[in-house]
Amino acid sequence: MSQSNGNHPLTALSEAMAEAVEKAGMGTVLVNGRRRLPASGIAYAADLILTADHVVEREEDIPILLPDGSEVTATLVGRDPGSDLALLRLKGGPAFLAEPAPQEARIGQLVLALGRPTSEGIQASLGVISAKGGPVRTGRGGLLERYLRTDAIPYPGFSGGPLVDTAGRVVGLNTSGLARGASLAIPADLAWQIAGTLAQHGSVRRGYLGVRSQPVTIPTAQQKALGREQSTGLLLVSVEEGSPAEAGGLMVGDILVGLAGQPVSDPDELLARLSGAIVGSPAPVEVLRGGQPATVTVTIGERK
Amino acid sequence: MIDFVELSSAFTESLEMVVQRARRSLVVVHNGRHGAGAGVVWRAGGYLVTNHHVVARGAIRVSSLEGHEYPARVVAQAAEVDLALLQVDGPAADLSNLLPAMIADSRQLRVGEVAFALGHPWGQRAVVTAGIISGLATVRVRGGRGSGTVMRTGAELVPGERGSVTVIRTDAELAPGNSGGPLLNASGAVIGINTMIVGGDLGVAIPSHIVEAFVTESLGQEVAQVTI
Repeated sequence: MSQSNGNHPLTALSEAMAEAVEKAGMGTVLVNGRRRLPASGIAYAADLILTADHVVEREEDIPILLPDGSEVTATLVGRDPGSDLALLRLKGGPAFLAEPAPQEARIGQLVLALGRPTSEGIQASLGVISAKGGPVRTGRGGLLERYLRTDAIPYPGFSGGPLVDTAGRVVGLNTSGLARGASLAIPADLAWQIAGTLAQHGSVRRGYLGVRSQPVTIPTAQQKALGREQSTGLLLVSVEEGSPAEAGGLMVGDILVGLAGQPVSDPDELLARLSGAIVGSPAPVEVLRGGQPATVTVTIGERK
Repeated sequence: MIDFVELSSAFTESLEMVVQRARRSLVVVHNGRHGAGAGVVWRAGGYLVTNHHVVARGAIRVSSLEGHEYPARVVAQAAEVDLALLQVDGPAADLSNLLPAMIADSRQLRVGEVAFALGHPWGQRAVVTAGIISGLATVRVRGGRGSGTVMRTGAELVPGERGSVTVIRTDAELAPGNSGGPLLNASGAVIGINTMIVGGDLGVAIPSHIVEAFVTESLGQEVAQVTI
């Protein structure tokens, strides 16, 4: 049982990572909300667990195993299939809360993916942040503004668990439910923000205009008229009858170039700008009509 | 302020040191069929540990990374935990090349600790893969008939009966040819013997304290047999 000396950086890193896993593991719970293998969840607030939406198949009596081994049940507070997040409320809370990382993840930084899919203790895998991306359409009617990609192995049941830095702070929430096969994480700040909305409203409101559009190139002369360099916009090819767009005066042939003071150059950007507080309120929509800029006011509807 | 370039090179150096030391306790175990397994020099006197499935059939031959070849015999085996104890034979000068590995106490492991695997995946010699300890899991095993092994390490295994044993899961990449090779900690001490007894894509290792118990038990029996 001997130990060698002289390799301090390696043993120091090893220690630091074991500490990070222990710390972050205290804020990682087992969520038994589906028929197959249980998944994981993050202790978000005193009585709230943030997890992946696709691992929660029921709304009541969801068994939760806390890090100290005690079993409690939770009920669904709200879910957002578009970003694959769900928020659960516990009867009896976790003693320790997960701590979000103070800054955004950087490509190349070491990360540990954590999960608690069994009662045998915390599980972890090591990797780096491989890429950052977004916005991406999630195939569930939603759009994820930003995502992280990692090469840390996503073991079965890791969905809903945290991706943490070497100090044990959460940089993202692991999910395999957004892109088939790929291991993605929802950045912590975005996940926390969506969790806040879920705690308040039970869902993330997504806006509805009632138009069909296709991206088109804006000629240089019209960019000049617009007063900014914006090479693409959205040509409206249909406006639904009785829709918010029609009520606001949008017409087929308009090129939509901005919403609520922000430029819109592709469909993903429009989708991203149509969620959150804008829903239900009047917003200026900037278009090119007959080559000239015009602004109409549309009261954004809610997509049901 | 930390000098990251210096930290990074110090890091690389310690890695190299650990690997170089560990390589001296690594052997290749041939069984006369396709492929080969790995083995770890466990005790002085030419005692090696490998996987049971590596030596279950065929004529056993051991070679060092420098190419020394040794005849070997199976001293003891425990199929239920996929372990075998071998002894190699040869001139004392040759045997001195086989440096017993540093053995860590695997009862103190923590998830997240650095772990390296050494072995011969797909036949390539002395390949290092790095990762961490991903988890500690209990798996059910059946005590092997006639293996004569009773573990006294918290994992009570009685031949012919079902028992359970703790295994180390790692995200360090393991492939055929890593079987019987060591899983090492950041100090280069052996924390487990890599094996393929559990299905799936997860690498697992039998903790070194169980291996140590198996070796001690086996050598005890061996000595007893000799005295009778």
